[in-house]
Amino acid sequence: MNTVLGLGFILFAGLLSAKLVKKIGFPAVTAYLLLGIIIGPSLLKVVPKAVLASSGLISNIVLGIIAFGIGQNFSRYQMRRIGRSVLWISVLEACGAWILVTAIFYLILRQPFYLSMLFGSIASATAPAATVMVIREYRAKGNFTDTLLGVVAIDDAWCLIIFAVSLAIAQAIYAYQVAPFFLLKVLGESLLSIGGAFVLGALSAFLLSVLYRFIHTPTELLILTMGLVFINIGIAIWLNLSVLLASMFLGTVLVNINRYSFKFFDSLKMIASPLFLLFFVLAGANLEVQVLGSIGMLGLFYLIFRVVGKMLGANLGARIAHASTSVRKYLSYALVPQAGVALGCALIAKNDFPEVGNIIFTTIVATTVIYELFGPLLTKYALRKAGDIIV
Amino acid sequence: MQVREVMSTDVISAKRSTKLRELLNSFKNFHIFPLVPVIEENNRLVGVVSFRNLIDAFRSYHPDVLRLVPFLDEEDQDIFKIDVSEGIGDLVVVEDLMEHEYVSLTDDTLVEEAYDLMRLHLKEELAVTDKAGKLVGRIGVFDILKAVFRHKGII
Repeated sequence: MNTVLGLGFILFAGLLSAKLVKKIGFPAVTAYLLLGIIIGPSLLKVVPKAVLASSGLISNIVLGIIAFGIGQNFSRYQMRRIGRSVLWISVLEACGAWILVTAIFYLILRQPFYLSMLFGSIASATAPAATVMVIREYRAKGNFTDTLLGVVAIDDAWCLIIFAVSLAIAQAIYAYQVAPFFLLKVLGESLLSIGGAFVLGALSAFLLSVLYRFIHTPTELLILTMGLVFINIGIAIWLNLSVLLASMFLGTVLVNINRYSFKFFDSLKMIASPLFLLFFVLAGANLEVQVLGSIGMLGLFYLIFRVVGKMLGANLGARIAHASTSVRKYLSYALVPQAGVALGCALIAKNDFPEVGNIIFTTIVATTVIYELFGPLLTKYALRKAGDIIV
Repeated sequence: MQVREVMSTDVISAKRSTKLRELLNSFKNFHIFPLVPVIEENNRLVGVVSFRNLIDAFRSYHPDVLRLVPFLDEEDQDIFKIDVSEGIGDLVVVEDLMEHEYVSLTDDTLVEEAYDLMRLHLKEELAVTDKAGKLVGRIGVFDILKAVFRHKGII
């Protein structure tokens, strides 16, 4: 199969499988991922090599676009609107999973600190697609649903920050192969990667805002936005800065300096969907089925302690913000799914740490499939317990 | 030529608290549902409602909440099949439907710029405010075309 035919086949099969899976109540993400695993090199072997080889390119672009969109969360309008309980719960459930998974991997499973921290930071992500699907299907309504939607909407932003910080620290530790703590050099390199990303993102945002004045049609707007998002990602890669943060800061600065910034994001949405489809199918195709057997305890501990961490964090957040009893008791059940952002982070880890990357990536793909299959059931349980749906 | 010379000043507006039923009734005798600016007590523009937003009456949450979320499946709700109570006419208010992020103009904008902005943002009508952000009118592509035809002596 040639490359173009391969791409066409993936898009076509992706659409069909998503329609099929939707009928039984799962989000399209699950379909794309499973499709990727089935048609990938481990099983049916129908994905052309050249398409597989472009995985890195596509994931960089897709992650850049996502991080750019997520950056909008930090606009003055969004920050004003977001409630106290959403803020506390989302920050603490993300940090809860991060800290607990890192600690368990380091202390109990005796994994290297940088690897534990990478797992921990990926654990902070929550995928909203499955949760939102259940909310829509049962037309859930109420205080619990509002808080839940708020939490899943902003969660990815915290995850990107947590992952970027952890990645920078992990890279620095890995490079010097030294003890993880009290190292000025580690701290310095991490700060450079993050600070540099901020400066780059801000400069790109100002440039985009200035060039916007010369734009007259929606097509030009799409080309300009795409061009600058790519340039921003490219320079970040070139200068060894955090790609995710550079894109996120581009979005954040833009949304705060340009009145019509929402148009930049909306224009990218037009082209994002087929890219997202490719991204997920290729993520599935990159899974090496034979590695699955070797993840054993890692996978099991990740599966359990990510959820426990989220539960403890969400509970603490709800207590601090004096949220209702149902939010405190049941909200964390709806935070189980993981998908796009976690997979993206795992792909980055796979590229940056060739020796352990495969284990991280395989664990995340495998647990994603499990979480996505059980997530909707748990969300439904939580919504019913909270009294926001009557089934 | 500035927007204030071309815009229409008789604008029917709504408040955040206007009920869906009242909103629809105000346009009962119109052929189309125009762009409705949403204002506060002091006439300050805070949002807009277009006919596209009316579909959100069938949703259980404001779509703005999820606007920033990546990888979300599109909602393919069938408005012909959705079971809603008649009560939503009084339960849903403009606040639940309006766009908080919208494009608007000040009345001293040049008509050429206004036309460019409509083309770029794919809008056929925009709300017009004064410098202080208070609603003063409404301008549509048709108003601009009329002005151009008049300027060229066609009408």
